[in-house]
Amino acid sequence: MPVDQRRINGPEVSVPYHIYSDFDEKSDKVKHDFSKRSDKRTNSEMRKIFLKIGIVSQAKGSAYIEMGNTKVVCSVFDPRELSNKNGYCTQGEIYCEFKFAPFSCQKRKIHQQNAEEKQYSLILQRTLEPAVCLHEFPNFQVDVYVMVLDNAGSSLAAAIMAASTALANAGVPMFGLVTASTIGIYGNHYLMDPTDTEEAICNTQPDKEDDFNHGIITLASLPQHNQISEVFLIGSIDTNTIKQATEMLTAANKDICPVLQQCLVKTIMKLHNEKK
Amino acid sequence: MAETVLSSGEKIFILHGIDADFRNDGRRRCEYRSMEIETKLMPQTHGSARLHIGNTDILVGIKVELDVPHADKPNEGKLEFFVDCSATATPAFEGKGGDDLATEISNVLTAAYQTRNAFDLKTLCILPHKKCWKIYVDVLILQCGGNLFDAVGIAVKAALNSTEIPKITAATLDGGEPDIELSDDSYDCIQLDTSNYPIIITLCKIGDNYIVDPTLEEEMCSTSSIVMSMLPNGKISSVVKLGYGSIQFNTFTKMLQMGEIIGLRLNKTLMDVLKEENQFGRQRRIFGFLK
Repeated sequence: MPVDQRRINGPEVSVPYHIYSDFDEKSDKVKHDFSKRSDKRTNSEMRKIFLKIGIVSQAKGSAYIEMGNTKVVCSVFDPRELSNKNGYCTQGEIYCEFKFAPFSCQKRKIHQQNAEEKQYSLILQRTLEPAVCLHEFPNFQVDVYVMVLDNAGSSLAAAIMAASTALANAGVPMFGLVTASTIGIYGNHYLMDPTDTEEAICNTQPDKEDDFNHGIITLASLPQHNQISEVFLIGSIDTNTIKQATEMLTAANKDICPVLQQCLVKTIMKLHNEKK
Repeated sequence: MAETVLSSGEKIFILHGIDADFRNDGRRRCEYRSMEIETKLMPQTHGSARLHIGNTDILVGIKVELDVPHADKPNEGKLEFFVDCSATATPAFEGKGGDDLATEISNVLTAAYQTRNAFDLKTLCILPHKKCWKIYVDVLILQCGGNLFDAVGIAVKAALNSTEIPKITAATLDGGEPDIELSDDSYDCIQLDTSNYPIIITLCKIGDNYIVDPTLEEEMCSTSSIVMSMLPNGKISSVVKLGYGSIQFNTFTKMLQMGEIIGLRLNKTLMDVLKEENQFGRQRRIFGFLK
C-alpha cells in the first residue's frame, strides 16, 4: 500500500465510535419495518432530485445533483491530446475519477482513492462510453471528475447522472443522456433508491437463511434509445428477481430523463434571454 | 487487454461464423475449450491451482496468515484477492499497463465472494476482537489467450478447495493477550467449506449473438460483455457489464438466463473433477510446469 507522503493522514488505527453504540444502527437493523421507510416514502418511490448545471465556472461543464441527502458535484474539462505512447487513436477517450469527500461517509476516507472508488471510476467510465460520440474527437481525452460531498445512499447512480449532465453542459457530442437508479433487494422487498442505512441492510444476509435474496443493483441506461449502458449487481439474487428489478429500474430511468432534459433546456433559455 | 490486430475482413469472418453457430475452432456458441487443472502443486503455499484453457494460463497461490479482525466486524476473518498481470503475459501489461485489468478482475472476485451465502467469513475467526485468519489469494496471469475472468474464477475456486488451514488446538486469552497453540501434526488441517463458492461466467456479445469462452480474436470483435458470478445454489452474486458498447434490455435478460444454465453445469463439472483428483491422495504425481 503506497503511503501519501505529502499529507499527514492521521493515525491509521482510529475507528468511528458508532461501532460501539448499540442503539444507533444495530437495533435499527433488527426492527427495520419494510412497510414504512424512515423518510416516509413508499418502497417504489424515489427521492426528489435537484439538479443544477454550470456551477463550476472554471470547468467546461459541470453539474450538481441532490437526491435526498446525497450530494454530488461533477466537472468536465476541455479535451486534451493523448500522450503519443500507443500511436494515434481513432477514437477519443473518457477518463473518470470518482472520489468520496473525506467527510462524506460514516468512516473518514483518505485522500487517495481506495479500491471501491477505483472500481466506481471504472464503472462510471464504462457507463459514459456508450453515450458519447467518441469518434468525434479522435486522439483526445475528456476528463470527468466526480466528488461525492455527502453519501446518503445511491451515490453511484447520482454520480452517473451528474456526469452525463455535465458532459452535455460541456458540449461534448453525445448519442443521448444517461440516467441511473439503484434498487435494494431484501427478501421480497424491493427498495427503490435506498438510503445508506437501507444499503447496509440489503448488503447483509440474515443468519440461518440460505435461500434468501439480498443485494443492490445499480442500472444505467440510455432511455432515449432503450439501451442498458451498465449494470452493477452485488449480493445473492436469483435470475427472476433480477429480471423484475431491472424492469423497475428501466422504467424509473425513463421517468428521470425529462428532469435532466428540462434542466439543460432551462439553463440554455436563461443564457439566451440574458444575451437579449 | 492484450492487443492483436485484426483486419475488418477477419472480423467479419469471425462474426459470420458465430452467426452460423460454428466458430473458428469448431466450437458452438455455448461450448468451452477443454481445460486442464492441477491443484496442490506449490509446496510453499497452503493451497494452489494451475489452470490451462486454450492459451490462457493462470496460477493461483493461497497463503494463510494470522491477523487482527476489523474493529467493526470483530467476529469475521479476512479474505483478499490480488491479481498480477505481469509483463511476461503480453508486452501490453508492462509498467502500469495491466493495472486497470488487474483491478477489474480483483473487484469482480471480491464482489463474487462478498455475500455470506458464498463465503462465511465467520469461520475464519479464532478469537473475537483479537485473532483471525487472513486468506491471501494471489492470482498470477502467466499467459493471456482470452477469457481471463472465467479462467481466474475457476482457478481461484479450485485453489480454495485445496486450501488447508492449520488446526488450532487451543486459543486462550492470557492476561488480555491472545495465546494460540497449533496442532503438532502438520497433516492435521481444516478444509474450507467450498460447497457454495461462485464461479465467474463471461458472456461476450458479438453481432446479434452472445458466446462463452471467447478467444483473444473473438474478444477483439466484441463491444460489450456481461461478467456474472454464479453460486451452485442458483443465485447470482455479482453482475457487471464490460466494454464500451450498450445492450438492449431483452438481450440482457437472455444473456443472464444462458449464463445461469452454463454456470450451474460448469460448477458441477468442476467439483466432480476436483473430487476425482482428490481421490489420488497425497501420493499423486505432480506435473507442475513440465507438461
